Amino acid sequence: MVCSIVMTQKQFYNGGCPNCEEIIQLRGSEDAITECTSQLFEGIITLGDPKTSWVAKWLRLSEYVPAVYAVKVNGTLPGEIIDSLENNGIKYVPRDGTEPDEEMA
Amino acid sequence: MSTTNINNLILGDDDDEESETEFNPGAYGGSDEEQSDNEHRDTKDGIAPKAEREPAVNGANDSKPRPRDPPSDELKEEDEDEGDLDNGEDDEGEGEDLGNGDDDEEEDEDEDEDDEDAVTGRPRKRRRRGLNQFIEEEAEVDEDDDELEADEDDVAETGFIQDTHPDDNLGPEADQDDRRHRELDRQRQMEASLDAEAAAQRLKERYGRRTTQGLAKGSFVPQNLLMPSVDDPSIWGFQCKPGKEKDVVMAITKKITQRVNGRPLKICSAFERGGPGAPMQGFIFVEAKRKADAEEALTGIADVYVRRQNLVPVKEMPDLLRVKKSKPLEIGAYVRIKRGPYGGDLGMVNEYDENGLDVEVRLVPRLDYGLNEDANRPAQEKRKRNAFAPAPTPVNRPPQRLFNENEAKKRHSRLLQNISTLTGRRFIYDKNTYEDGFLLKNFRKTALETEKVDPKLEEITKLTKTAADGSETLDLETLAHSLRNSAAEGAYVPGDEVEVYQGEQRGIIGRVEGVNGTILRIKVSQGELTGQIVEQPVKGVRKRFKDGDHVKVIGSSRYNGEVGMVLRIKDDRVTVLTDTSMQEITVFSKDLREAAEAGGSDNKSTGFDVQDLVQINATEVGIVIKADQEAVRILDENSSVITRLPSQLQQVEVKKNAVATDRNGSEIRVGDIVREAHGENKSGRILHIHRAHVFVHDRQKIEDAGLWTTRCMNVVTIASKANMTQSSGPDLTKMNPALGGQNGAMAPPPKTVGRDRLIGQLVHIRKGPYKGHKGLVKDTTASSARIELQSKNKIINIEKQDLAVVDKNTNKTIDYNTFANSRGPPRVGGIPGSRIPDSGFSGGRTPALGDAGGRTPAWGASSARTPAWSGAGGGMDSGRTPAWKPSSGAQTSYGGTGGMTSYGGAGNYGTSGGRTPAWSASARTPYGGSDGFASAGSGYDAFATGSRTPYGSAGISRTPAWGGPNSTATTAPTPAARPYDAPTPAISAPTPGGFDNNDGSYTAYGASAPTPGAGFGAGAMDAPTPGYTPGFAKGSNREELKYNRLTAPAAAATPAAGGYDAPTPAAGGPRYAEDDDDE
Repeated sequence: MVCSIVMTQKQFYNGGCPNCEEIIQLRGSEDAITECTSQLFEGIITLGDPKTSWVAKWLRLSEYVPAVYAVKVNGTLPGEIIDSLENNGIKYVPRDGTEPDEEMA
Repeated sequence: MSTTNINNLILGDDDDEESETEFNPGAYGGSDEEQSDNEHRDTKDGIAPKAEREPAVNGANDSKPRPRDPPSDELKEEDEDEGDLDNGEDDEGEGEDLGNGDDDEEEDEDEDEDDEDAVTGRPRKRRRRGLNQFIEEEAEVDEDDDELEADEDDVAETGFIQDTHPDDNLGPEADQDDRRHRELDRQRQMEASLDAEAAAQRLKERYGRRTTQGLAKGSFVPQNLLMPSVDDPSIWGFQCKPGKEKDVVMAITKKITQRVNGRPLKICSAFERGGPGAPMQGFIFVEAKRKADAEEALTGIADVYVRRQNLVPVKEMPDLLRVKKSKPLEIGAYVRIKRGPYGGDLGMVNEYDENGLDVEVRLVPRLDYGLNEDANRPAQEKRKRNAFAPAPTPVNRPPQRLFNENEAKKRHSRLLQNISTLTGRRFIYDKNTYEDGFLLKNFRKTALETEKVDPKLEEITKLTKTAADGSETLDLETLAHSLRNSAAEGAYVPGDEVEVYQGEQRGIIGRVEGVNGTILRIKVSQGELTGQIVEQPVKGVRKRFKDGDHVKVIGSSRYNGEVGMVLRIKDDRVTVLTDTSMQEITVFSKDLREAAEAGGSDNKSTGFDVQDLVQINATEVGIVIKADQEAVRILDENSSVITRLPSQLQQVEVKKNAVATDRNGSEIRVGDIVREAHGENKSGRILHIHRAHVFVHDRQKIEDAGLWTTRCMNVVTIASKANMTQSSGPDLTKMNPALGGQNGAMAPPPKTVGRDRLIGQLVHIRKGPYKGHKGLVKDTTASSARIELQSKNKIINIEKQDLAVVDKNTNKTIDYNTFANSRGPPRVGGIPGSRIPDSGFSGGRTPALGDAGGRTPAWGASSARTPAWSGAGGGMDSGRTPAWKPSSGAQTSYGGTGGMTSYGGAGNYGTSGGRTPAWSASARTPYGGSDGFASAGSGYDAFATGSRTPYGSAGISRTPAWGGPNSTATTAPTPAARPYDAPTPAISAPTPGGFDNNDGSYTAYGASAPTPGAGFGAGAMDAPTPGYTPGFAKGSNREELKYNRLTAPAAAATPAAGGYDAPTPAAGGPRYAEDDDDE
């Protein structure tokens, strides 16, 4: 849900999230996977070249690895994960369609 | 000195304003200011030539492109440069330059920082520039001094280095220990760079939040700054098979990953925005620099149509990726089930999992409790059968009903579990949980429709829990969520006073001028914009009311139609005190409108009134006991009170004259006063009778609007309408088919024409006090007869069953039932019944009809039928013969035959005088008849025919026909018949007389009649119309033909003579001729 990458649960379990593993630590943790991933998403994107892609830029995926991402992810992260994201200096972009402007305000 | 610089740098970077102002003077030490400073100095000093100065500046400039990492490096160099430069000059200048150098560096740092933090950096810089100049001019010296002091204090030991630093520019003046200095310099540089790294580290630590590491994207830039530009890759949309979007994208992914080592795909990304109901279903989008790349990426991928593509305009690109926040689920929100047996049903969210997929929804169950299950089905077959059985669809599923424990127990008691919880009783039935009658079922979020639910009131009421006290716990709050965004169209009409509470125009108050879809045109009535018209979407507008306003509830509210006074207003919820019930109701302001009329709610809208009989379902009816706005309370056939929505009901057409029988078998009708036979002994007036139920209104009763219902068999009449005696018995027997069967005669009578055959009969009373009396039946009802006694001048009522009919002819008595059933015998030879009198009448009428020539044939027919009556099949035919005539104009001759009439009485002859020629002949007919009686033979025939010919075609027609057979086969009877025959039509009047009075002749007639019938049947009758023409043909007697030929003219003559009709001859003549030719 942090980076909206789309992977199977098994992939998450075995490899963790290629982008945000440091923070949410999905690898090997069923609980983290259930907490931090969502099976409800809409619109899938396959990123071939995140650096140049406007789509990636728009969705703020430019820094991520080329993979499959979702346009919209339903669900919210647990509060502590959001906090830890903030502490790590990451601006959490809600992926569920919440207006980011509201978040900024 | 460099340390200071670094320190200062750090300070400067800190958001501390004061420290910055300290540096401000030199902060913008960029080229122009420096230049101005230099010039200033030039003017001051007048020593240093510009040429000499230039290199210094150049040196400083040169140093800039160098790697920035060790700031002190550059700094120092510059300082030294300038220091060297200024060495020969005054201190002041040096100090200033020093400051400049510092600031230069700092500014560089600033720029770095600005790069990182562009937004905040710029304004500060601008501000600084302004301050810069100000401070420079005012406190130049002091500051420089301070700076110098500070510098000297801090880097006292490095002062000489600075002085002696060898520089390329100052080559000639450089010291000998240049090398050492350089070494030291390098050392310092090292130190400085280390320091810088440390500083950078510290900076990072401090500002890590803003300058994120690689994991997250750099700084957070608002999305509107990321709007696509022409430089960005383009996006092409490709059509693909709807529903396959994800597969396509995944296939592209695969392609990307597989070819990443070889020749990578040059696309930036590919995505889809499909999904059920999404407008972009059936499209995938590929982002690439070149169209060819995009196409290449898609080649070889199934379900995508590469040819059907279009470029997405840059402007629309963000829309492609727009993410609409899905409506968060709330407990109590209404949802609609998308699929399955409950597809389309409204549900209410009971519980849901924050992140999860499962939502527990409360539904009205649709259960049949195994009613449609095959009980004998073996258990193991069940699954198999289910696999093939049609899934319950909205069409064949059971209706929505609350869970009923008892019904479930009936068949599936083993599937039923009872769980008592704190809140109430729960059941688990067939793996589903039921609470308060509702089904609690888990659904995947995707299987629920959360938007555009548009719950209907009836569905909501179904879903609404009914509290213990019977009141419905309809939660307005939850309704609000579901309804707030539902189409408010039509809720606003011009003239409504509204208030904008959302959006830019918030606070505007005005009146609606016009409504266009969901956009309102509002004429502002208050504030600055007064008089202007603004357009505003309905969404952000609410109606404005004041306390005390008189309003009417409109729209979808359940209080629709109520009128009341505004008590309180909170946001868009308005509490209204209703006029009728003095209740406080809370409704949305959009559902209110200023009421023009005062008073109660208009109940008309339901369309039902108390005491109306309504259809509840296919089999049941009920009577309305309360007609409310949105619900009608009904007393159903089982005396239970149910509540239905008006839309579920149908008015039953009231049968005003419905009749039923009460417990005692007496008739009850609408309006009768009845009493319950047992039970509460309720009584009342019957309002409706429907099937076996009566709906009764009792004025004494209060509950259920005084209405009660029961089966007809449970009431007894107290007072019925006056018609009771008249109709009780007979109607019952009529109604009861069983009785009808028993009394066979009862059914036929209605078929008799008009009146009971019994009327006018002489009857014998067989039972009762008048047993043995005879009398004439004057009148009858279904079961009884009024009889005028012969012995007494009295008319009495006697049951028909007690009568025996006395045959007038035989004087035999016939049992009434036999009489009633015996429709055959009179036909054969017995009583001609009323028919004969009919013909008698017809005879009487004939003269009259004679004038109306056209009809005569009909009469002829009827008369002809007289024989028909006597004979069965042939009679019919014969009867028709004349009937056909009409077409050939024969009837005229009939009319001419007034002759027939003339039979009735001599006087008629006179009237039909014109027919004289016919007359003599006709006059003879009877003669002939008599002759015939006397002697049969061809001569007779000829004569008869001859005589008849003028008579009328009908007569003629027959005569020859008759003649033929007669001459050969028939004997006396035929002639015997003939006179009758001919007369019959004619002598209509006498005939009945004869029948009535003379049994003998009557019988004879009957006997003779068949013969002609047969004759007809055999010969001429085949083609009746030409009727008699064939008759002639058939007739083997040439003489006859001759006669016929003769007759033809004669016939022709007849009309001529009579002047009745020309056509007849025309018709008749040629025909005969034809016949002749044939012959």
